[in-house]
Amino acid sequence: MNPEVRRYDRAVSEAASTSSQSRRAFNRTLLRVGIALAFLHFGFRKLFGRLAAAAEEKLPTAPEKLGARSGMTIDLDRCTGCGACVVGCRTENNVPFFGPTEEAKGTGIYWMALLPVGGSGELPEHGHADMLPRPCMHCENPACVKVCPTNATYQTEDGVVAQIFDRCIGCRYCQVACPYGVRSFNFAEPQWPESYRSYINPDVATRPKGVVEKCTFCGHRLRDAHERAQLDGRMPRDAELRRLPACAQVCPADAIAFGDLNDPASEVSILASSPRAFRLLEYIGTKPKVIYLGKDRRRT
Amino acid sequence: MTARWTAAVAFVGGVVGWGLYSYFVELSHGMISTGLRQIGGGGATWGLYLVFVVYVIGVSFAGVSTAALVRLFGIRSIEPLTRIAELLTIVAVTAGALSVLTELGRPLAGLKFLPQFARPASPFFGTFTLVETGSLFASLVYFYLGSRADAARCARSSTRLAWLYHVWAAGYRGTPAERVRHQRVSFWLSLFILPFLVIAHSTLGFVFGIQGGRPGWFSALQAPGFVVLAGASGTGVLIMLAAAARRFLGLEETIRLEAFRLLGNFLWILTLTYLYFMVVEEITATYAASRADMHVAHEIVWGTYAPLFWTAVICFAAATAILFLGFVTRRTSVAWTVVAALLVNVGAILKRFLIVVPSQTHGMLLPYPEGRYVPSAGEMSVALGLFAFPVLLYLLFAKVFPIVPLGETSAESVPPEAPAQPEPAALRIAAFWATLLTGLTLAMTGLLLSFRVGTVYYADPVVPFSPLIFIVGVMMSFFSAAVYETIPPPRGR
Repeated sequence: MNPEVRRYDRAVSEAASTSSQSRRAFNRTLLRVGIALAFLHFGFRKLFGRLAAAAEEKLPTAPEKLGARSGMTIDLDRCTGCGACVVGCRTENNVPFFGPTEEAKGTGIYWMALLPVGGSGELPEHGHADMLPRPCMHCENPACVKVCPTNATYQTEDGVVAQIFDRCIGCRYCQVACPYGVRSFNFAEPQWPESYRSYINPDVATRPKGVVEKCTFCGHRLRDAHERAQLDGRMPRDAELRRLPACAQVCPADAIAFGDLNDPASEVSILASSPRAFRLLEYIGTKPKVIYLGKDRRRT
Repeated sequence: MTARWTAAVAFVGGVVGWGLYSYFVELSHGMISTGLRQIGGGGATWGLYLVFVVYVIGVSFAGVSTAALVRLFGIRSIEPLTRIAELLTIVAVTAGALSVLTELGRPLAGLKFLPQFARPASPFFGTFTLVETGSLFASLVYFYLGSRADAARCARSSTRLAWLYHVWAAGYRGTPAERVRHQRVSFWLSLFILPFLVIAHSTLGFVFGIQGGRPGWFSALQAPGFVVLAGASGTGVLIMLAAAARRFLGLEETIRLEAFRLLGNFLWILTLTYLYFMVVEEITATYAASRADMHVAHEIVWGTYAPLFWTAVICFAAATAILFLGFVTRRTSVAWTVVAALLVNVGAILKRFLIVVPSQTHGMLLPYPEGRYVPSAGEMSVALGLFAFPVLLYLLFAKVFPIVPLGETSAESVPPEAPAQPEPAALRIAAFWATLLTGLTLAMTGLLLSFRVGTVYYADPVVPFSPLIFIVGVMMSFFSAAVYETIPPPRGR
């Protein structure tokens, strides 16, 4: 027999005689490990419970917990395609403008965009195209929130798809996941020339390069309205919300309305039940909360 | 050999340096210097970097999988290639990690926030936990355990790096007991690594496949297609590496023709399977699909991307034909197998590009302008640097450690009469179970906490750094194999 194997054989048979000892030792060790793991398990559950309770207490209370559902209606019959909503939104939210070269390349940022529907979209046929104002749809089943790896984009309880810009790592997954293409990426560091600085809105944080941004339903204005209303111990009235976002405020044709879709008396709820009402890409299942009112074809 | 090696390292190192410099230029200006555009601006927001990410992580799949299959099924002919294969996974996943960072708009924020706040509901969670950290660590453990025997040998013969090899060997003495233990650990580790890798790489396919709003991406075939193409391209790279080792290190006797025959067979089977997947995808996208799906498929096959598509198809078909011919005529030629492997990889890169880009430029559901994506020079420099980096790692490694296992590592070196009972090793077994159970508990806990169990879905995890807890748990679970194998037996027995 191979000497190596003989040595091994002897070692194993020696070990076998002491195996009962080692078995007891093993059992003892296993018992100790088991007790330690049990302690860990129960201790962890307690810690867990305490932390969860603390987290619940820290959550903000308004406007999310008040049963509201923020929505918007855009009346395409009233819309003239003037673009005031785009400009108003940019100004209110400090949306950077990178210059005509970059815009032509396709790296410009648009929180509110005007999409040409029908027609070629190029002059001189442009006049035949209808313009579709396209903010973020603030879907009830948002694809972008599902795919965000760091929870930088999330959904508040009143249905606004909000963002923590500081946490965005710029992976652009939300941008590709959005079926409506509403998100824009900051390809470069926004520059604020001297003449522009007086226009910067102090209520809205500017974003650095490398983060994705989009329409927030003017969340800062919404929070402001809720805080003011709470001072009087009530929810904001529909009249206070109707022209709350910057786009709704500046629209000269009054085509954009904003409000609480859960309030049956609000203007958005009434308009949303119009026979002209439709939503974009309904079949995908994102449940957008921007409701369009189609052109009244009887008049054209 | 040394002069050639130095020249190769200098060249590849230069490319890596050039890529690094280009990347820092890009970091300082922002991604405006790339060819990427807003997805609504007529361009693609995911481009060359993501193509490289999916390609290189795909390649990494085949490395450890091949080594695992060798161990599980005792495939003797490819046994000399196990170390090359294991190393392939390690360097490819490392390159993949770097390329994921280049793809981010804020890479440092990514490094900070992903371990802190990551959500398992996002497919990227799988990419950065399972693929990057999990399979990298699992491959490192697997590779390390297989290399200890050679490290012990090198420690005896080398003088300059003897200290390194001693630490590396960690007390390996080559006794039959150790070899039996190594066989057992290899078997079980292989058994668990394989499904782990399949799941990890499927999550990369899910990144694309689960998006209902992206025509051209939304498909059940994305995940399996990813795994199959990963296997094909990875096997191709393995063939090329084996041929290089055989030629430049004079290993004709060790890396025999049978190895290329077997790998060549793997390759044509996988490539043919992938061609089948492509046909199925094409039929599904054009038969009675939505207008948007048909449009993207049309652009790929007959429109803007047709040259890339048909080149990929020809590459795959030619590679299959070459290898199939060799299979049928029972003739193996290393040169032709390498040509086929190269063709498969060229086709794989093109196909990955066709997965990532056309849906963005031509697959918008709302009336955005259609456009094109052309990578900028800076982007291509960075991508070349990322490509060169794993090559550099390989070259450097080959100088320090034998790239092919030196001695017998198979179970047949242990005579069949040796009893299979475990040695008395209460400490080892207890340590193994403690490590494994702790690892699994941490992984499960970390995963549940990352799912925001115990709080609302839009809040942060109840315990900070839960994703990191998950990763540590996965690593510990694989580390238990190393614990089992390396703890020495009690003295005097």
